Amino acid sequence: MTLPGFPKGMQYKMLSLDTDNGASSMTVLFEPGYKQPPGMSYTEYELFIMSGSITIGEKVWGPGSYVFVPAGVALEALSSPRGATGLIFYNYGEPSFVESDSDHPQAERNRYAAVNAYDNLHWTTFMYCMTPNFWQDNISYHDCCEEAYHIWGTSWMMQFGDLPTGGYFWRPPYINHGAFASKLGILAIGRTDTQLYNHFHFNPWTNIEENQERAASRMLHRNPEMYKWINTHGHNHPIDFEFDHGHAHGDRPHHHGDGMVEHKHKKKRRRR
Amino acid sequence: MKFIENKRSREAEAWLKKEIVEQKRRYRKIVAEQEALTPKRDKWIADFLQRIQTRGVHTHYDQMRKVRPEEIPVKPKRKFKVVF
Repeated sequence: MTLPGFPKGMQYKMLSLDTDNGASSMTVLFEPGYKQPPGMSYTEYELFIMSGSITIGEKVWGPGSYVFVPAGVALEALSSPRGATGLIFYNYGEPSFVESDSDHPQAERNRYAAVNAYDNLHWTTFMYCMTPNFWQDNISYHDCCEEAYHIWGTSWMMQFGDLPTGGYFWRPPYINHGAFASKLGILAIGRTDTQLYNHFHFNPWTNIEENQERAASRMLHRNPEMYKWINTHGHNHPIDFEFDHGHAHGDRPHHHGDGMVEHKHKKKRRRR
Repeated sequence: MKFIENKRSREAEAWLKKEIVEQKRRYRKIVAEQEALTPKRDKWIADFLQRIQTRGVHTHYDQMRKVRPEEIPVKPKRKFKVVF
């Protein structure tokens, strides 16, 4: 399948899609000879090369290459003379491609990054591995969403079973996962939507609400101001004030646990 | 700037509509697969609760401590879910 507005020769397989805004994670296949003119996307996106190579401008990017392209930044012409496979994450909207050799006026080119991910990654996108016969007997949950794709290897989680090579998961915040094991070891790419903090425990039966409460009480000790924010109901992770996914009323932009943005609050009656 | 407001093309609208249907189907499949895993999962959990009493639970990197029998959580009566 090909993406609307993209040149022919790039096939994709959808891994997950946000049904609210079209943000999506997918594996992609650049067929040998694929050519894409310079162009931009309305959403920021991340590209990771798993095999083969692509050429951006005049530079060749092979396995392990990672490119972060902010919204509106015109990427140079992209081609793949011999073909490549990779992962693409469109973070805030559906995939889009607008042919252009200049940036959109709102583009932030200074945020563009292209690195070899096997050397290092400093963002909330990261590489991780498990060594053969790795095991970890505890249960974890996070304040953030997490997704991962197995480039190679197998792993096991007590709640979800085995994940093979090519396996993928996207998990909302506060869901128990673990114990963990890996017979053959794995190499994987992972992503979170904010800072990852491991809340470890050993109760398999706790639910999302209980985990969120426990995370909040731990945060009360570490960061009392943040705890006040958590009590507005929603999620524990720090809100992104630049791109708040909530709305403003009262003194802080926020949304509620159900993700509803379009809602009103009744006026509180003053006590006389 | 992480996203630039724009008007979706008709082609993009149609693509998104189709992919949303696919995503919902994918989700239902995941829920069914995870539901089918229940008997195995129950055993994995029972084994885990046993192991953390004998071999121990990981507390920090390779550090472990044995969990006392009175610390072992009791399964609540509510429905147990792993997919939300």
